Amino acid sequence: MTTQLNTKRGIARALTLAAVAAGSLIATPALATPHQGSLGNPSQGDITITASVQARARLTGLSDVTFTNQDPGTAAAKAQDVCVWSNTSGKTYTVTATGDGSSSAFTLKNSANATVPYTVEWAGTSGQTGGTLLAASTASASFTSGAVDQTCSSAPSTTASLVVKIGTTDLGTMTAGSSYSGVLTLSIAPL
Amino acid sequence: MVHDSPVMKSALALALATAIAALPSAASAKPGDNARITGLADLAFGTLNMVSDKTLTEDVCLFSDSATSGYAVQANGDGAGSAFTLASGAFTLPYEVRWSGSSGQTNGTALTAGVSTSGFVSAASQQACRSGAPSSATLLVTIRGAAAGSARVGTYSGVLTLTITPQ
Repeated sequence: MTTQLNTKRGIARALTLAAVAAGSLIATPALATPHQGSLGNPSQGDITITASVQARARLTGLSDVTFTNQDPGTAAAKAQDVCVWSNTSGKTYTVTATGDGSSSAFTLKNSANATVPYTVEWAGTSGQTGGTLLAASTASASFTSGAVDQTCSSAPSTTASLVVKIGTTDLGTMTAGSSYSGVLTLSIAPL
Repeated sequence: MVHDSPVMKSALALALATAIAALPSAASAKPGDNARITGLADLAFGTLNMVSDKTLTEDVCLFSDSATSGYAVQANGDGAGSAFTLASGAFTLPYEVRWSGSSGQTNGTALTAGVSTSGFVSAASQQACRSGAPSSATLLVTIRGAAAGSARVGTYSGVLTLTITPQ
């Protein structure tokens, strides 16, 4: 008796499972669009709208870096907070820094064409005084931006730190009273 | 001296309200009035430039057989709460919808998702515009550059449902 009941229950379960399996095979019809309306009250139609957004990044909030009357006995460092935005799913990006020295080297130059090297560091968060050392013209490892819009108009107002440094050895090679300058280009690529 | 009793005032007010409610409205459809929307096409924005606004328009056939040929249109997106949003996974991209009661227009009345907007009149003489003008209304869909500019990378899609009620 007990066995018979169990068997019936087993059959019932099997039937239920079969029904569920069969049901799962019936695909839910996708809404075919455009769907034209019929004459009625109301009449209803549907369309599908599609659009694509490409991967993009943006760097804003940059300021020129000025070292004034630098003591050659003290290493020079200037940090600035910038805004980096990336629209990839993980908000990730790489940064490539390029100087205007020979072969894109990070160098400053005076009127006599004397050069002095500097280093560039990048941190994926703002407020930093140091970060990952960047090699000229070489994409960095991945950073993640916390920006919620392209120019950080909504908090956070900055998302990364750029640090430019000149070591004491290099400072010691500079001519006093001579002005050195160079252009540093930063390229952000969405990742 | 005659004083109006509060009971009498209430009865009169009720009778007046009932009489007003019974008056036929010139703008409302009669039982049996119908409308029809045809000529719809899917809208493909392609790749957005993420800076400037982009609007796609399409002429559609809107027919109403009410005495005034009037109708109301309600647009529903398939975003949360019928919002006009496209989706790419968990990410969304908003769009805007406008409607004009004549074809070939570059502007129209902004529609609010899930809200019926009345006051349109159709010039269509046949329910699918098979005679007369081939279209009688314009649907305009806009994606703002600012919205695209802050959207995550991806391919977005959504379904816009248009519901027409004769009036």
